[in-house]
Order: sequence, then structure tokens, then C-alpha cells
Amino acid sequence: MPELRGTTKGPVLTRWFGTDNLHTLDVYEKLGGYGAMRKALTTMNPDQIVQEVKDSGLRGRGGADFSTGVKWSLMPKESALPMHLVVNADESEPGSAKDRYLMENSPHMLLEGIGIAAFAIRSHQAWIYIRGEYDGPYERLVTAIGEMKKKGYIGPKPFGADWPLDVRIFRGHGAYICGEEGALLESLEGKRAQPRAWKPPYPAQKGVWNRPTTVNNVETISTVPWIIENGGAAYAKLGTEKSHGTRMFTVSGHVQRPGNYEMEIGKTYRDLIEGLAGGALPGHTIKAWWPGGSSSPVMPGDLLDTTTDLDGVKNVANLKSHPQPPLNMGGRAFATMGGSGGVIVMDESFCMVKAAHRLLQFYAHESCGKCTPCRVGGNWAVRAYERILSGEGGTEDLGILDRIQDGLQAGRCLCGLGDAAGWVIASTLTHYRSEYEEHALHNVCSAEMAAVNATSPLAGRTNA
Amino acid sequence: MGVLSEHVIEEIRGLPAQFPDIRSAVMPALDLAQEHVGYLSPEAMSEVAELLKLDPGYVQGVATFYTLFHTEPVGKHRMYLCTNISCKLRGADDLLAHAMQSVGVGGQSEVSADGLFSVEAVECLGACEYAPMMRLDHSYHYDLTAEKIDALIAERKNVLPIHGEVPAKPAEGPPAAPAKPARKRAAAPRKKKADA
Ligand SMILES: Cc1cc2nc3c(=O)[nH]c(=O)nc-3n(C[C@H](O)[C@H](O)[C@H](O)COP(=O)(O)O)c2cc1C
Ligand code: SF4
Ligand code: FES
Repeated sequence: MPELRGTTKGPVLTRWFGTDNLHTLDVYEKLGGYGAMRKALTTMNPDQIVQEVKDSGLRGRGGADFSTGVKWSLMPKESALPMHLVVNADESEPGSAKDRYLMENSPHMLLEGIGIAAFAIRSHQAWIYIRGEYDGPYERLVTAIGEMKKKGYIGPKPFGADWPLDVRIFRGHGAYICGEEGALLESLEGKRAQPRAWKPPYPAQKGVWNRPTTVNNVETISTVPWIIENGGAAYAKLGTEKSHGTRMFTVSGHVQRPGNYEMEIGKTYRDLIEGLAGGALPGHTIKAWWPGGSSSPVMPGDLLDTTTDLDGVKNVANLKSHPQPPLNMGGRAFATMGGSGGVIVMDESFCMVKAAHRLLQFYAHESCGKCTPCRVGGNWAVRAYERILSGEGGTEDLGILDRIQDGLQAGRCLCGLGDAAGWVIASTLTHYRSEYEEHALHNVCSAEMAAVNATSPLAGRTNA
Repeated sequence: MGVLSEHVIEEIRGLPAQFPDIRSAVMPALDLAQEHVGYLSPEAMSEVAELLKLDPGYVQGVATFYTLFHTEPVGKHRMYLCTNISCKLRGADDLLAHAMQSVGVGGQSEVSADGLFSVEAVECLGACEYAPMMRLDHSYHYDLTAEKIDALIAERKNVLPIHGEVPAKPAEGPPAAPAKPARKRAAAPRKKKADA
């Protein structure tokens, strides 16, 4: 295993991280692991567990912030067909690596959470959909499942309870869109991964293989054992009034200590970026940061005091003196969002137009092609960026980008990928308009000129 | 005689039982075929289709959707360099150019002349805190530098052929491309075929 980069001994998720061989069942259990699953299966009923998770206030950590307890309560109490828990371990959001960190270091925490969650939604078979590139975490999970079977924690009578449990792994094969819940279920069914148009029936009625299904993120499920062990009320004490608990952040890019950090919700991004991750590289200043993966609208460097509260971060009042980008989420204006917790930090030496170009390449490449604005708009935007960056652009290209961002947002696409592509354009174009204009109108890149004059501490670092 | 050997066929035949619906077996089956043949040749795909009693067009449609399935020959060792934002901020573009030059390929669909390597620029691999990074075959390599890449290449070039194993050339398909100098500008990630 590589050196751990991130929190060890945190309040909830990483409390045992850094312990030798935490990934083995023996060590995990000696520390107190599987106590929560034993408690849930032997002393609680499914409804009590759902209530405990509702009380905790836990909201999904996959990016959409939906209440986990409420999601579970939507599952039918009786079903003629088998029901499934599907764990979303597809983690492909640029800037996000926390699910890998959790699975690699503490696979049993996820598996214990699966045992509890499956019991709570009355499912006997859980699936982990893991991205194909995650060989290390996959091996860890396979081994851990083997250890559980030996102990009987997976099998016909886990902890003596009359409630058979089966856990299976399905490997993805490289497609960002598989992280989207409907596309993930399509992929699990052996199809090209294209999002489903969710109107009723929802996954809780008709999910994978037409069976009632709950999809949850790795971090969400990994939090469940702590909640069951300590109680929903204890979890709700952490965090702010409406966003409870702690969450994992991946900090990457131009910081001194990139890593996966567990932090109590409600602290600021400054606490995270300057405190935990050590701040900007020597001699540099933070120009921009993305709070929750590349899909969250970019924030200017002087707004690091923004709260990590899941609702607070969206508040347009955070933008204060900055112009407000035309961002639309479900019909509402917002500033940015906590998203997947993948915090990307960029300093003054890097050009924002080039960064945005790279992200649009990503969204254009990963578009599943199902809806027209996303399929066409992404490629169209990439071409506009190419013109602007090659010195052949003009004001009309800025107008084109503006039209594209508008066409991608506000429910004009079937899934969030289209919105995210629009948000990249809208937020960078609003906050860094002068850089776009320098490129488009004067063929000048001020970031590159600044970088040439500075000695960079990063070997091989370029602004290409 | 097909391209899949008996033990692979047996394994594929065993897959459907693991799923409520036979279609779910298609990706794991393609995976086994690809591991065996090196890439998904048209023959390999139609054999998978036949074994799973699925339409060959359907199987091909799935194979072309996902980037980890290769429908063209690839090197024995596949370097997947992340060039997404966190890695790019830490110099991934230069490393991509360096890797392509070191193994002597000019593009993402090329295989080095010795058949040993192909290099692909890919999207975020979920290890951004170790940027720049890459996946080489089945393992991740972190905090990459040009020197680290060269060492990994040298290690794989110097391996003596294991008893009975012929030094790698793709099993079949077009001859490996001649070495060309690496392109100046880093190439964009390989395009997925939009509507196969
Ligand atoms: C384009 C796109 C990509 C997504 N990728 C992921 C992902 O990689 N992992 C994840 O957990 N959720 C991802 N999501 C969110 C899922 O659709 C879903 O909301 C989530 O898995 C639900 O779990 P949670 O309630 O525990 O957060 C993505 C959504 C979209 C629109
Ligand atoms: S928005 Fe893009 S990725 Fe999402 S369904 Fe439409 S085409 Fe596919
Ligand atoms: S951006 Fe390279 S691993 Fe995430």
C-alpha cells in the first residue's frame, strides 16, 4: 500500500485509520468493528434502523445530498420480487478519491454498513458496483468478503439472525456516466450505460432487473455502522443544524498536502485547504477552487471562508462582491455545491480557460449521447475553446459559450452530466471573464506569462 | 476453431448463473475474452455473443461503449495516464508526451514496435491526491515523474521471456505501428465511439 495521505483517527469514518492491517477482519473486529452489525441484526428491526438513520440526518455523500433514511423508507416492506441494495463505488468525478481511500483502508467498514443497510431495507442480496480501474480496492473487497463468509457474517444466518445475506461485486469498465444511478443500473443489467428517465416508478419500486432497489454511495454506507453503534442522535450532534456529521474531502491540485481529509461539516473550506491540506504552494496564491469535484461550479480564491454546510455552500450570498454566474439547479439560483467533496485547488500560475477547456473535453467525452444538448453542446463548446486558445477566437465565441451553457442547464438534459458541463462554462466565464477575453481578443495568456517568471516547485509542471 | 480456449469458454458458460438476467454476464464475459486474446477482436466478440446467446450487434454495442474494452490491438503493457484536471495541474501533459516518446508511439491507437506498450490518456482515475498518476496494466503508480516512467518501461523491457512464452506481439491484427517521434502537443483522451 502507498503512504496514507489524509486523515487518520478522525471522528467517524477514519477513526481507526492508520492502524496496521485495519483491512483485515481480525484487526477491524478487535477495534470494535462488526459490533454495530451484530447489534442491528440481533436487537433491532428494520424500521428501527431506518428511524435511527433518519434521526442521524445523514445525507447521501454521492453528490445529491438526499436523506439516506428517507431513501430507505421508500422501499416496499413487502415485495414478491427480491430487493437489492446497490453500492455506488464508481467514483469517477474528477477530483474525488475518497471512496477509494475508504475501501482500500477499511473494506470491512463498508461491508458492515452493507450488512446493516441491506437488513434495514429487507434485501438479501447487495451488489457493489466498483469502477474497473480500482484493482486494489476490488482485491481488498474480495478478500474481505471471503473473511466474512468464513465467519458466517455473510451467509444463511449472519450473527444467528434468520436472515440470509449475500454480497456480490460487479466491475465497471470505464465510463464516468456509470456513476449516475440510472446508468449504473443499466450497466449492471449488461447494457450500455445510459441514464434512465426517472419518473415513477422510481428505483425503490423498479430498479435493477425491475426489482425494488436502493442505490447509495460508498461513504454513505460506510457511515452507517458508526450511527448504529452510537445512535442517530450522537451523529446529529456533529455538524451544523441541518447538515449533520462529518464528511470526507479529497484535496488535490496546487496545495502542499494533497489528501483525503475527514472534517466536521460546517467548518470552512479555508479550514480544509489551508489548515488540513497546508495551503498554497510556496510563493503562490490560490486563484480558484472547486468545492465538490469538477461538476461543482468554481469558486474564486478569496472566498475560502465559505462554509462546508451542504445548504450554506449553495447560498448565493457567499459570492458577495463577485458577479453571480447564471447557475441553475432544479429551477433555483445557487453559488456552488458540496458535491462529491472533491476539492480541486488551482493557483495563479494556471490558465482558467485551459482548465475549463480540459473539463469540457471530459464532459464531451463522457456524454452518453442520449440527449441532444449534451451530446452536441459539449463538442461544440470544445471547438469554441480550441478556437479561443489557438488565437483564432473572437467575441462571438464567448457568445457561443454563453448560449451553450444556457442550453445545458435547468433540466434541459436528462441527467446531471449536462448541467455540470454547463456549470463549468457559466462559472468560469463569469468569474474569470478577463482571462477569456485576453485569449479571445488579444491572444494573450497572463497565467502563462506569470508562470514563466516564477520558479515552480513542481517538477515537470507546465501550463500546456 | 475459435479464438477462445476451452477453459475461457467454460468460465464464460458459468457466468450467467451468477446473475438474475443473462445480459448482466456480457461485461464479465468480454473481460475474460479480452484478458485471453489481448483485445476484443470481432471473432472474440462473436464467440462471446454465441456463448451467451445474445445478438452479436448487441455485444459489440456494449464493448464499444466502455473505454476499458479495446476493440483494436493494444500493447502487452497498457499505460493509462490520467490527464484530468488534478493531474494536469501537476504536470500530466508533459508526462504523457514523455511516455509516448519513450516507448515510441505517436498516437493513442498505436502499439510500440516491439509490441510491448501502448499509451492512453484517460480521465480521472480516482487517485487525485497522488497526482500525477497512471494505471499500468493492473496497478496504480503515484507521484509520477519522467524518471519513474522510464524505470517502469525499462523493467518491462528487460524481463526475460518466461519459459514457453513468446515475447509479446499482439496475437493477431495489423502489424505494430512504426516508431514515430512523440507529438508536440498532448493528445486529447481517446474518443469513445458515439453511436455504435
Ligand atoms: C453524471 C453523474 C455521475 C455520478 N457519479 C457518482 C459516483 O461516481 N458515485 C456516487 O456515489 N454517486 C454518483 N452520482 C450520484 C448518483 O446518481 C446517486 O445520486 C448516488 O449514488 C446516490 O447515493 P447517495 O444517496 O448515498 O449519495 C453521479 C451523478 C451524476 C449525475
Ligand atoms: S445529459 Fe448527457 S450524459 Fe446525461 S443522459 Fe443526457 S446525453 Fe447522457
Ligand atoms: S485527476 Fe488524475 S487521478 Fe483524478
